[in-house]
Amino acid sequence: MTFLLAFPLFSLRAQPALAVTGEVAKPLTLAAEAIRGLPHSEITAKDRDGKEHRYKGVPLVDILRLAGVSLGGDLRGENLAKYVLVKASDGYEVLFALPEIDPDFTVRTILLADAADGAPLPQGVGPYRLIVPDEKKPARWIRQVAAIEVRFAK
Amino acid sequence: MRQLRWLLGSFTGIGAMALLAWSPAREILHLPKNPRTSQLEPYPFIYPAAFGNRFTIPDNNPLTKQGVYLGRLLFYETRLSSTNKISCGSCHQQHRAFTDGLPFSTGVSGRPTRRNSMSLANLLWVRNFFWDGRARSLEDQALIPLSHPDEMGQPAVVAARKLQQMALYPPLFKQVFGSDIITPERMIRAIAQFERTLISANSPYDAYLRGQYVLSEAESRGLKLFTTAPAMERQVRGGNCAHCHGGPKLYQEVFHNNGLDRIPKDPGRREITGMEQDQGRFRVPTLRNITLTAPYMHDGRFASLEEVLDHYSDHIQASSTLSPELMPTDVSRNQMTPQEKQDLIAFLHLFTDQGFITNPAFSDPHLTHLSTQKSSLPPQKSQSSPRTP
Repeated sequence: MTFLLAFPLFSLRAQPALAVTGEVAKPLTLAAEAIRGLPHSEITAKDRDGKEHRYKGVPLVDILRLAGVSLGGDLRGENLAKYVLVKASDGYEVLFALPEIDPDFTVRTILLADAADGAPLPQGVGPYRLIVPDEKKPARWIRQVAAIEVRFAK
Repeated sequence: MRQLRWLLGSFTGIGAMALLAWSPAREILHLPKNPRTSQLEPYPFIYPAAFGNRFTIPDNNPLTKQGVYLGRLLFYETRLSSTNKISCGSCHQQHRAFTDGLPFSTGVSGRPTRRNSMSLANLLWVRNFFWDGRARSLEDQALIPLSHPDEMGQPAVVAARKLQQMALYPPLFKQVFGSDIITPERMIRAIAQFERTLISANSPYDAYLRGQYVLSEAESRGLKLFTTAPAMERQVRGGNCAHCHGGPKLYQEVFHNNGLDRIPKDPGRREITGMEQDQGRFRVPTLRNITLTAPYMHDGRFASLEEVLDHYSDHIQASSTLSPELMPTDVSRNQMTPQEKQDLIAFLHLFTDQGFITNPAFSDPHLTHLSTQKSSLPPQKSQSSPRTP
């Protein structure tokens, strides 16, 4: 019967927010204003349509840092067995290993985008979409990102 | 219970067959050695490796053969309803892949339910139940139809009291749960155990995946349309059905607005999450046994697969929450020709699993008792109450 208890809680926040939970020092629920207030970067990447687009957003690594995820000098030893599960509001899920996100390991920036070509992301795509540059398939360009879970592989 | 989950998780295909003859499981499982549980045997799952092991078995409800059997009795137990006339099996009939053939079902009140009865197949892997995903486990799910006034209309605690008075059940609860006190919690655990065994994995499509079935030309064209994303700018035609209904289990665990209405009468998942973006979103159901589960959609509005394909091809209604893959304005998409629709339907027929809908292990065990009065598992009291088939 847990759903009955959960229902009013969900109803209170009818605005999309981003939850960061799991193996984090500080679990977060970032409201739209909070994400808007974070430093934004811009990247250019090719979407499924084969065309280059200009995406603006917060580097995923910055969101993880805010939540106190083991990155940089701490991303060693058993922490290398952690993974990041990104969940969309429709239930779609994609996974990253932390070194795919950490600039100590990779030159590419995975972006939590909130705008494309100067406009907010459209309905059905936004408010947040991951942009994963230099991948041949955009299957991990997950739309309507609602939650990020950091977990240990068991 | 981690060992148990690991163990169950590794039982795939032939491995599971071997396990049927494997006895020392109990020791490896570290089940308590007291008399109440020592006779319980783990239930071995058999399914294709491609289904994967991402199960949804709560740690406190591992499957045992005895628990599954009790759950099967309860699934078909009409005393779980206020009128003693409706069981889970009334709206989830095995010969229709556990649906009832109606747009909406009627329970004890005679009023129609709000949504179409869902097919029960491969629930072992499902993570959010109901058309709107409101229940996170089969255990949570089972309580809802039990007490809903238009379904079985009786609080589970009342049902438990009724079962307690019957000769049949207390010994079985004792065997499965170590106590003959019947509680709602134990009832739903047993029902969930049975439901997790409803695996459909032996349709002609599965045989095709194993390399044991050769597609006809129409089926082959249907498969191509099913799996191809259209790209009309490159003259690539496709239905892209697999985008949401793909994979060996023929569904993705996602909730989408599939363009039935511009302004949906039923808010769907939005009712659960309160989120605007979930307006008109419903579970993407499995296509397993889809020829047997008409009528279609959450409100049973389409009587036939032809109507379903006409919808996806020609009648998608745009709205702010419409799934982006279905945008009618998307120039990459193509409408289906009558021939293409026929080919797709030929392919959809491959998902019908005759073994699933005739498997005696999923049928009403009360009927078996009446007709044969024998059952190897577990021992039955002879004075089990009379039943009307």
